[in-house]
Amino acid sequence: MDLLLSDEQQEIASTVASLLTDDLGNDTIDVRRTPTPINRETWARYGELGWFSLGLDEGLGGVGYGLAEEAILFREIGRQIPPGPFLASTLSARLAALGGQSQLAGSIAAGRTLVALAEPRNPDSAAGASISGSFDLFDGQDAEYVLIVTPRGAALVAAEDLGSLQPTACIDPSVHLATVDLSGAGAALYRPAGDDLLFERGTILIAATLAGVAEAVRDMATEYAKVREQFGRPIGVNQAVKHRCADMAILAEAAAAQVFFAAVSVDEGRGDAAFQASAARIVATDAALEGARANIQIHGGMGYTFECDANLFLKRSHVLDRQLGDKYAELDRLIDLPQAI
Amino acid sequence: MDLQFSVADLSFREEVRTWLEENAPKDRPQNDRKALTEYDINWQKIQWAGGYAGISWPAEYGGRGASLTQQLVWFEECGRAGIPGIDTCFVGINHAGPTLIASGTDEQKSFHLPKILRGDVIWCQGFSEPGSGSDLASLSTRGIIDGDELAVTGQKIWTSFGDKAQYQELLVRTDASGSKHKGITWIIGDMSAPGIEVRPIETMAGDADFCEVFYDEARFPLTSVVGRLNDGWNVAMSTLSFERGTAFMLSQVALAQVVEELIDVARTHTGPDGRRPAIADDEISRHLAQTRADVAALRAMTYLSISRGAKYGTPGPEGSISKLRYSDLSQRVGRLAIDVLGHDALNFRSRSQLHSWVQEYLRSYAASIGGGTSEIQRNIIGDRVLGLPR
Ligand SMILES: Cc1cc2nc3c(=O)[nH]c(=O)nc-3n(C[C@H](O)[C@H](O)[C@H](O)COP(=O)(O)OP(=O)(O)OC[C@H]3O[C@@H](n4cnc5c(N)ncnc54)[C@H](O)[C@@H]3O)c2cc1C
Repeated sequence: MDLLLSDEQQEIASTVASLLTDDLGNDTIDVRRTPTPINRETWARYGELGWFSLGLDEGLGGVGYGLAEEAILFREIGRQIPPGPFLASTLSARLAALGGQSQLAGSIAAGRTLVALAEPRNPDSAAGASISGSFDLFDGQDAEYVLIVTPRGAALVAAEDLGSLQPTACIDPSVHLATVDLSGAGAALYRPAGDDLLFERGTILIAATLAGVAEAVRDMATEYAKVREQFGRPIGVNQAVKHRCADMAILAEAAAAQVFFAAVSVDEGRGDAAFQASAARIVATDAALEGARANIQIHGGMGYTFECDANLFLKRSHVLDRQLGDKYAELDRLIDLPQAI
Repeated sequence: MDLQFSVADLSFREEVRTWLEENAPKDRPQNDRKALTEYDINWQKIQWAGGYAGISWPAEYGGRGASLTQQLVWFEECGRAGIPGIDTCFVGINHAGPTLIASGTDEQKSFHLPKILRGDVIWCQGFSEPGSGSDLASLSTRGIIDGDELAVTGQKIWTSFGDKAQYQELLVRTDASGSKHKGITWIIGDMSAPGIEVRPIETMAGDADFCEVFYDEARFPLTSVVGRLNDGWNVAMSTLSFERGTAFMLSQVALAQVVEELIDVARTHTGPDGRRPAIADDEISRHLAQTRADVAALRAMTYLSISRGAKYGTPGPEGSISKLRYSDLSQRVGRLAIDVLGHDALNFRSRSQLHSWVQEYLRSYAASIGGGTSEIQRNIIGDRVLGLPR
């Protein structure tokens, strides 16, 4: 039993982190503040590095690590919040591969085919062989497919079968948001929920991203509390500030611990993997949203500006909270699950 | 990263489970203090007979010498078997014993350690004073050297089991001239020494768990000093970090069980609206789910800190993170039990399982005060984990 990152996993984390930092810094546009088309070159490079198929078996064309490594990658995404359909790409590459569409899987995994996440706006509009209902579409601008993942099953729909998108400005300035209504659209691929645990995997990756956000805002707030001076001393000497940072540290620790516990539960086929995934999402949502709130407060007037990153972490957390269900749905699911092993 | 227990740990789990099934005492008395103390001591004796006493103590001192993972297994299995804790023997097993092992003389060790393990003696902790709680180092109970004895005069307070204990970990000021952390001495206090008077204090939960202890020139031989004279602060700190290490594991396992029991009961017990089962109330249902998630995360945090401990050695200041999270959660669980009980929540002294929750709820208020308050834990996290300026 060991919940620490191995040296190899540590290596994955730092490679991902430094590449994201470079890419975000090198871009001429501030991609986290402006809705921009996905940089296809960058996306293909991430694909080449195996970022969208880390946890997919080698036999299915993936890198052959587990969900733990994917969670490590998504935590880094949460720490730096780059734009792009990371979740939809990872889940749809797996879905296509498991559904026997290896060419499509390979193309998504390579970052050549873009997939957007479509989130049902109510439980009746759900995945099936034929799909109807109203959906929120995330990062659908150049997508060739959209992915729908629900507790009952997952589907891929070709973008040309979607009908018209109604773009909406998203609370997170880096996210392309649109609504789309489907009536009887045929799925290019549909798999009912089962041993794939696709929904649970997605839930854990969302939780991992939120855990990354919680760590980023903890670090941001703590750093600021050390250097910002008022009344002749750093603001962090005041307990009102210090204790808030301590609470952020507790929330972030709980989120990361539970995310990795859940990810390993899936990798090892534990019977309570769904329970652990659900718990991960709940604690990580709390950690990100409460941490993001505290971070804005600790930055004072600066925290309220668009220029300060604090608002971006808050906004991304809200977007994440609306994908693959939300915290309320997760609470209602968790109460009905059998207890943890 | 993995959640697999080694073959050795798995067979240890099997062994412990079978042993507990056959030997663990059942039906801990709820409100009868005397019976509770007997129950705890009896349990300690059973552990000794079974070779499990002092699960974390090194084998050379008669302990089990279990690895961190096996300690986890032990506490998980105890929790599963319904063993509530080792309240009465807590200080001896988790403070005094480890302190003697770390800093005691050979005579002190060979005299006291076996007694603690066998459940022959109860220890208490005489640290806090009326004027020195969070600021423990400011303590002023005086110890004056007189020949080969220390004469102690002053007062301790909140001494848990002070009225039951034969020995105490006693911190006294032997030098008031320097800084407050220097000049403290850690002594093994014999509670039967003349000049000691113990008065129990009733708690808000209706227990009389802790006491005031008065010292009027109570005399202790200098051979009862543990570590060096005036170096008691350092001697004491080694036990406090121990307290925040593995010692809380059992409480965490127990808390997870309470949450599951609570969910079961909420499915049938009439809730606050007097009509439907409590769980039919969306707010109660979601709070229950939330605590389920939070308890799961607490366990994951424990696993994480055991992983750190196994890799880097002794538990670090991160222990404060788990302790804070635990105290907060146990209070929320207690409060939730009250909501689930609905109209029955006011029934205090009943002996039914349900109503023991009312008392547990009241007891949960101690979790954020004893062993260092939550505010002090937040200071520790801010200063030592995050490196914020003081
Ligand atoms: C059930 C129980 C059992 C106990 N058992 C024992 C025992 O066996 N032996 C023993 O020696 N002691 C024991 N204690 C005592 C315990 O360690 C103290 O109560 C605790 O350290 C707090 O000290 P205090 O009560 O003097 O409160 P104070 O230190 O006076 O604190 C009062 C309030 O002020 C806050 N505060 C104080 N200083 C600061 C600061 N610097 N920053 C922010 N807030 C601050 C505290 O957090 C608290 O909210 C026990 C306590 C309880 C509740």
